[in-house]
Amino acid sequence: MTVGTGNPPSESALFWTAISKSFVYSLLVCLGVIVLYPLLWMAASGFKTNTQIFNAPFAIPLSWSLENYIGAWNEGVRSFLVSSLIVTATSAFCTVMISAWTAYGLTRTRMPCKPLITGFILGGLMLSPTVALIPLVRMMQSVGLYNTHWALILLYTAFRIPFTTFLIRAYMLELPSDLDEAARMDGATEGQIFWHIMLPLCRPIIVSSVILHILFAWNEYLFAMIFTNAQEVQTLPVGLTSLMAKHGTDYAQVFAAMTISALPIVLLFFAMQRYFVRGLTEGIGK
Amino acid sequence: MAEMTLHQIRKTYGGIEVLHGIDLECEKGEFMVFVGPSGCGKSTLLRCIAGLEEISSGELRIGGALMNDVPPSRRGISMVFQSYALYPHMTLFDNMAFGLKIAGIKKNEIRERVQRAADILQLTPLLGRYPKALSGGQRQRVAIGRAIVRDPRVFLFDEPLSNLDAALRVATRIEIAKLKQSMPDTTMIYVTHDQVEAMTLADRIVVLRDGEIEQVGTPQELYRTPRNVFVAQFIGSPAMNVLPAQLHHRDGGATITHAASGECVLGGAGAFDAGPVQLGVRPEDLALAGDAAPLFRGRIDHIEHLGEWQLVHTDVGIDDKPIIAKLPGDLDVRRGADIALAARPSSIHVFDTDGRRQNGAGRT
Repeated sequence: MTVGTGNPPSESALFWTAISKSFVYSLLVCLGVIVLYPLLWMAASGFKTNTQIFNAPFAIPLSWSLENYIGAWNEGVRSFLVSSLIVTATSAFCTVMISAWTAYGLTRTRMPCKPLITGFILGGLMLSPTVALIPLVRMMQSVGLYNTHWALILLYTAFRIPFTTFLIRAYMLELPSDLDEAARMDGATEGQIFWHIMLPLCRPIIVSSVILHILFAWNEYLFAMIFTNAQEVQTLPVGLTSLMAKHGTDYAQVFAAMTISALPIVLLFFAMQRYFVRGLTEGIGK
Repeated sequence: MAEMTLHQIRKTYGGIEVLHGIDLECEKGEFMVFVGPSGCGKSTLLRCIAGLEEISSGELRIGGALMNDVPPSRRGISMVFQSYALYPHMTLFDNMAFGLKIAGIKKNEIRERVQRAADILQLTPLLGRYPKALSGGQRQRVAIGRAIVRDPRVFLFDEPLSNLDAALRVATRIEIAKLKQSMPDTTMIYVTHDQVEAMTLADRIVVLRDGEIEQVGTPQELYRTPRNVFVAQFIGSPAMNVLPAQLHHRDGGATITHAASGECVLGGAGAFDAGPVQLGVRPEDLALAGDAAPLFRGRIDHIEHLGEWQLVHTDVGIDDKPIIAKLPGDLDVRRGADIALAARPSSIHVFDTDGRRQNGAGRT
């Protein structure tokens, strides 16, 4: 008997293919609902009054008034948002620049003991932030950075450098060495090769690293809670907690504040989703 | 004075020596080709000259100045890489201008020099494009253009045609030959493993094996009087037929008898030492014996038709190693038929059992 590859599939095979596809799509829809529904419920609750929230928690708001959002904004969310932006943007810039330069050194130079140095830097991935808390608090207090934006910027940068270096190094290893050798023949210094050749070529992984760092720094809670206590330096996660403590009964305003804090990161994720996914796969695969 | 001098150049990687004391002089305006099999050290030698590899010991002088510790960009050299190494995020103009910008040259002069190089290489309409929008041949021309704009004393090519298809390779080879003619004072060093490129482009060829120079000479010298069996078989396509033989002094002359029972009178007994030798004859020096005394008799094993020529593989009963003869394409020869081949005595190469040449100018 010969088995032809061009034979049309039987009706039974088609039936089971359709069933399995329907099952997969149903699962994905369920997952989407599980992820998106709380976000939408939170945003919608920001438009309700407290009475509506308790009486009809799953109903559509009766009016689309921005009153709760404006109230939350004036109650401190503006300050938390500015702090989050300062800390996130500065630490993202510092982390990515330092990591890229480190990765360049680890991949493009002939420094001795390179495997040892690589292991030492990447070993930072193993360091638990919780374990280092007490020494870090003492250090920040002694250098006068406690309760400043700089405390968070320094900590976020330091703790994210190993992971970001790991990503960028993996990408740089794949770039042909002919390019930097050609630049060297053209008379470029190491700094010029880094700025004019390697950094532009690493743009995809740089963008991915920035997005990953923003996701981390925007949502980080432990360091932000320990190292800041004044409202003007608190970032959104800590600020929202204090807002909840202060206006615990005004759920509508709390939901509005939470929506404002989540909005930038959600928008960023959807806008840069392609880079985000690529960053994860490149970091793992290369 | 030589433009470039290499004296006892050695290169070691972690205790393993890959270049074993290279001595070489290159004249101003000379086109020199390094050729050899993979792993012979030709690219390493080129990279040592470029400054991309540190020289472990020895001296490299360009224009009389010691260059061992001088950075690549200050050696007065430019290099064309095998992979082209064009910067993918820059336009062709920026690729060619990059080195000049780094050197702090004024914008007007940069534009002028890039334009001049682009005109020579017919790249002017493409200057605003990115490398990904170009064909392999165009990319290669940009890589050459990038080297030209720096106005180097010494031009280095690292297997520049190996990424091109056969037709484009021939066309680009001719372009490089023309480029050399238009730059008579520029010294060019060219690395290849393709002996046709070496023969057609070089003023002189350097044959390398295992990190040592086997022979330096003009293409004709290497072809006519190879110093040893390695060079004899490396230069020329198809490779020279080499087989064990015995040399006798007879009637005041020298006669060579090979293992397949053929013989040839060489004459001039004083030029040879009697005893076991290796006999070499190029496929193109063999012809049907006709009335002449045959050098080889055998049965045709295989025929490769090349149009104008045909390569006739003849089994003469030596170690399953056929003798290849390059015969005219219109000659009526058939597989399985008996054939007698002869060669002029002057075209016979005699090597000793160690592979060193015994006859002619290349004798060592």
